[in-house]
Amino acid sequence: MAGTVIPFGPQHPVLPEPLHLNLKIEDEIVISATPAFGYVHRGLEKLADIRDFRQMIQVVERVCGICSMIHALTYCQGLESLMGVEPPPRARFLRVIWSELHRLHSHLLWLGLFADAMGFESLFMQLWKVRERIMDMNEATAGNRVILSVNVIGGVRRDLDPGQTGWILSELAEVEKGIKAMGRTILHDYTVQKRTRGKGVLSREQALELGCVGPMLRSCGVAQDMRLLGYAAYGELDFAPVVERDGDCYARCRVRFAELGQSIDLIRQSIGKLPAGDISVPVKGRPEGEIVARAEQPRGECLYYIKANGGKFLDRLRIRTPTFANIPALTVMLPGIELADVPVVLLSIDPCVSCTER
Amino acid sequence: MVFMIPVVLKNLFSRCATRPYPQSPRKLFAGSRGQLVNDAGKCILCGTCARTCPSQCLTVSRKEGLWQYEPFACVFCGVCVEACPTGSLSQLSQWRPAVRERESVVLKVEVKSGEEGKRHRA
Amino acid sequence: MMKTTALALAVLCAAVLLGGLLSGIDRRLTARLQSRQGPPLIQPFLDVIKLMAKERMVTNPWQAFSPVASLAAAAVALVLFALQGDLLVILFVHMVGGVFLVLGAMASPSPYSQTASQRELWQMLSCETLLFLIAGALYLTTGSFRLSELSALPEPLLYRLPLLFAAFFFALTVKMRKSPFDLAGCHHAHQELVRGVFTEYVGPYLGLLEIAHWLEVMLYLAICSLFWATDAKGMILLPLAVFFAVIVLDNVAARLTWRWMLGWGWGASFILSAFNLFWLKG
Repeated sequence: MAGTVIPFGPQHPVLPEPLHLNLKIEDEIVISATPAFGYVHRGLEKLADIRDFRQMIQVVERVCGICSMIHALTYCQGLESLMGVEPPPRARFLRVIWSELHRLHSHLLWLGLFADAMGFESLFMQLWKVRERIMDMNEATAGNRVILSVNVIGGVRRDLDPGQTGWILSELAEVEKGIKAMGRTILHDYTVQKRTRGKGVLSREQALELGCVGPMLRSCGVAQDMRLLGYAAYGELDFAPVVERDGDCYARCRVRFAELGQSIDLIRQSIGKLPAGDISVPVKGRPEGEIVARAEQPRGECLYYIKANGGKFLDRLRIRTPTFANIPALTVMLPGIELADVPVVLLSIDPCVSCTER
Repeated sequence: MVFMIPVVLKNLFSRCATRPYPQSPRKLFAGSRGQLVNDAGKCILCGTCARTCPSQCLTVSRKEGLWQYEPFACVFCGVCVEACPTGSLSQLSQWRPAVRERESVVLKVEVKSGEEGKRHRA
Repeated sequence: MMKTTALALAVLCAAVLLGGLLSGIDRRLTARLQSRQGPPLIQPFLDVIKLMAKERMVTNPWQAFSPVASLAAAAVALVLFALQGDLLVILFVHMVGGVFLVLGAMASPSPYSQTASQRELWQMLSCETLLFLIAGALYLTTGSFRLSELSALPEPLLYRLPLLFAAFFFALTVKMRKSPFDLAGCHHAHQELVRGVFTEYVGPYLGLLEIAHWLEVMLYLAICSLFWATDAKGMILLPLAVFFAVIVLDNVAARLTWRWMLGWGWGASFILSAFNLFWLKG
């Protein structure tokens, strides 16, 4: 088996996303991995030419299914600072609640897919069973399960009544119970540890040099979290980024698992501090100037470059998604590992290819 | 391995988490974004909905008195519902059922008399 | 002669029906362990019928011949077992079936099935050695490789071969393609090698392999029943209990690598078996 090339994707059953890698393997050991792009490119940035800046909110939501809320949030926050609009306090806290619900469902989705990548189907089902409660919360509060579509420039489109916040809190308690019950398996199971410990190790220096973001970077001991910028209401909430040191798949798993608890805590804090008042302010005029907006997605830092000329359409919209920043790490992590570990290492960056290829 | 055993055995002896979907659908949430409907009686054919729609699935023609909607291009974001000045557009919490053929909705609207519209297959 | 043929046919029909049904129970039970509802019990039969009705497509003649040979070998092994034949012969015939499965998979240039066939060879090697040790233990206890001697034993074989039974459990998990050892082709394709050795088979040939797999599982469960050959109740209950245990294990473990299977899994099983054999002799 000298130098077999295995086409890993874009259509591969183990991959949740059409990531394309050409793996050169020898005796089931990966020699080199070359990523290829463009399979699901949809030209969403180009749509800014024919959709006006308000319609683009719904377009950027569809950049990614799993972190749609935070895409729209980043875009809206960028335009708000361009247009000098300050969203009301209630809207800022509501944005945190929905962002963290999104992070919760994204991380649970990832943990499930990660379990599936190492052939642990029952853990996968169990985690998705817990996730279903969050999807229900999304649908009941925002109207949709995944693409929440709650952001507008100047605030949010939906409000939560006291009944809903109470229900969210009681559901969160159930979710927390479900997560706790799975924690021992995820963190201490022998077979899980066997498959994740010491696999795809990235040092702190490598991670920084390759430009990794989000949980990838935090698992290598760098406390980088865009939420520390204090956008939306994060500045008024109490949290610290979850950091691990080992930089292997197990550390990434630990970071994301701990972030589940952190998100639940942040939602509780925001509901506790939720101020009364309007949920949006009227916005007049058109944006002008250029800006870079950043926010923390479940997968890491998401970056929007927006250039507007005072017209109805934006001059340029450029989106740098977290997976795009994390893929270079794959070319370093994959060579030298066993073929059987490829899905695990691949999944450990939480690839979102529709995001990356926009 | 040991930590998972009680979990799976508990699953074996309790009700399953899945639903047999088409036979017993889940109760709808009140705020779900479902089908888009237009009350032809209230519509004034102003075209605000068509202008705000991000997926451009609405066409309003004042001359012919037609309000056209392509449900298969619609993303059910509800922006048009919020933009509608007369409140003639609304979203049900029930989503559109699956269909075998592509269909579009054409409403004949007479702004003054407020006559009921007709629905065609196209 | 007529009687033997009739018996052979009856055993084969029963084995196919039972094997398919067990596969259905497996799917249903797995689903329940995962908090799902699962397909109807006859789903495996429906799957095979559908596969049989599909277009025949092969990349080369070996791929067409191998499933037939594999099924034939599994069927012959099972019939020999029912006729209370020689365990060594049964194991050799059964091994031929495995070899043909690998040959068919290697016949196509796909890297998935190529890599998987190498893993399958490792799996066969580890399973068969353990089964031959069981045959050896049988010889040491009864003085013959013939199965008919077993029912005359005063107490179940399990009492004298507990460590070999543990090794057999390992072999069964490998054979049933269950986690942690669903390495060379698991039931669903969520694996790095897609469906491993089955990746390049389609239509009726895949259907034949599916039936061959049912028969192989039946043969293994039949060998399992040897451990309690002294009374009929034990002969049925022991394999069922082991079957259940394998499915539970499938649901509480992640997939391990073939290196682990060969090192820890087979290594430990082999040492256990050897220990048991010495104990038996001494």
